[in-house]
Amino acid sequence: MAEVEETLKRIQSQKGVQGVIVVNSEGIPIKSMVDNSTTVQYAGLMHSFIMKAKSTVRDIDPQNDLTFLRICSKKNEIMIAPDKDYFLIVIQNLTE
Amino acid sequence: MFGDGVVRGADVESLWRRDMGTRCEAKSCQTGEISTVEAAVQSHSSRDAGMQTDQSEETIQDLDLQKEAPVDYAGLLSFLQGVEDVVIKELNKNWRSHAFDGFEVNWVDQNETVSCLHSLLYPEAQDQKLQVTSISWNATGSVVACSYGRLDDGDWSTEKSYVCTWNLDRRGLNPKRPDLVVDVPSSVMCLAFHPSQPSLIVGGLYSGEVLIWDTSRIEDPLIWRTGMTDDTHTDPVYQVDWLQDSKHSHHFQILSVSTDGKILVWQTQRDGQLMLVEGFALVAQQIPRSMKLKRTRGETAVGVTSLSFSHFDPSVFIIGVEGGYALKCSTAVETAAVPRTVSSIPLKAPAQFAFSPHGGPVYCVSCSPFHRNLFLSGGTDGHVHLHSMLQAQPLISLQLSKKYLFSVRWSPVRPLVFAAATGEGEVQLFDFGKSSQKPAVSIKQASAQTPVYCIEFNIKQTQLLAAGDASGMLKIWQLSSDFIQQGPREMNHLEQLANEVTD
Repeated sequence: MAEVEETLKRIQSQKGVQGVIVVNSEGIPIKSMVDNSTTVQYAGLMHSFIMKAKSTVRDIDPQNDLTFLRICSKKNEIMIAPDKDYFLIVIQNLTE
Repeated sequence: MFGDGVVRGADVESLWRRDMGTRCEAKSCQTGEISTVEAAVQSHSSRDAGMQTDQSEETIQDLDLQKEAPVDYAGLLSFLQGVEDVVIKELNKNWRSHAFDGFEVNWVDQNETVSCLHSLLYPEAQDQKLQVTSISWNATGSVVACSYGRLDDGDWSTEKSYVCTWNLDRRGLNPKRPDLVVDVPSSVMCLAFHPSQPSLIVGGLYSGEVLIWDTSRIEDPLIWRTGMTDDTHTDPVYQVDWLQDSKHSHHFQILSVSTDGKILVWQTQRDGQLMLVEGFALVAQQIPRSMKLKRTRGETAVGVTSLSFSHFDPSVFIIGVEGGYALKCSTAVETAAVPRTVSSIPLKAPAQFAFSPHGGPVYCVSCSPFHRNLFLSGGTDGHVHLHSMLQAQPLISLQLSKKYLFSVRWSPVRPLVFAAATGEGEVQLFDFGKSSQKPAVSIKQASAQTPVYCIEFNIKQTQLLAAGDASGMLKIWQLSSDFIQQGPREMNHLEQLANEVTD
């Protein structure tokens, strides 16, 4: 439990990181370092997006699989590390 | 030997028909009677009932995440340990990467020029040589209302004037025929549409009255008025605004500002009257002396000509006064104003901080919608000052016109852009990101003798800017794309500007 918190804190302390959210495979947020409304919004919106990206990669080549997902936008960048049971969502602000 | 003979044929009778005959029987059948019953059904009477949800505040609940889904900590830990290194490597690479420097994507068609979409006018008002005194866009951004009156007349005028509205999204928009014309017995100095109800509009008159119209009522749009009581302003009302009132959601509160030194808060009553509920009075001796101001007689009222609420703190507002300086005020004060006139409600003294003066009356102040401390003030000396609420001296002082400046407005989408209406007939758009000396775009609305009196950005359709001038013409300008989209580093630039406060 404490190691989980420590790992999340280490990621949060990287340069420019605005938030870290861990979501389970059904899209329910498990751990979050941002406020509730943002967490719920990201968890809900990202889940369908991750599933779509994963199925796209698998459709193109069934031997292939999604390893990492990055959404670059004007104001920040969202990084998603997927896994069988969990997804890690990190939001980084690059403009400074 | 042989002879002819005829032989009779042999007959065989049919056995089949006889057999069939013995096997057949006659039968008849008839459908039974269908029973029918007459019945009548009538829909019961219904009533329309309206329900409205109040704008709810965000309640932060404690989301007990542990109870929501049973978390397998061992699995979670192994997942995190596996991805941690990858994620940290990516984060660091991102930080050092120059891959997207200067990379910009355009999702909409870029419009390079500023063009005039509509030139709206009301022929009767133009015949009386009335000027456009105030503009307001409604809550949905599709209707623009303007008021006519006179701003260069010093006399007490009893001239009739008009408030006209045009719906720009309507097909068959006739620029010479407004959708609604309201006759008003006196010059209307200022207008404001309600921020969420698209048909309510409040106007302040030259006579000191405040009227509220409902543009959805065709027969008689006037629904509330202050009337001429002891409480009403004795001088022209220069600005009106709607207050957000969460306690009484079926009553509206309006704030009016006038050169008699009073800032009054009115509440709508059911009988069509506006009742005074709160008030502030500015008296010269109660102005905080942070600057050396010329000595005036203690109880002289200070005429207020403009007001702007802070977008971040609803109790803080900035006012501009005839004396040429801006004051920071708060609605949450307790000190009573030194009484000059009898009023039904005790008046309070709201001023908390005075900013350094312009060379003439300040006709416009505007608080930035993007930064809590920044505001602009424009005066008749042709200068625009960018102030921070934390210090008396302006951060930046720009001379935009050799004549008067009648209105300044921050852009609702670009934190570094503002527009100013000058006495030379031009609307100047200024971008702090491009140049801090000269305007980015200068729109010529009218000839150099007709000043532009008022400008308003459209919050919903952010490419539209309405400007009204002294010839009675209301022009709707469409801005180019670089005034509509926020750039990537604008907020940081704005923060830098605001932090140049000298200690």
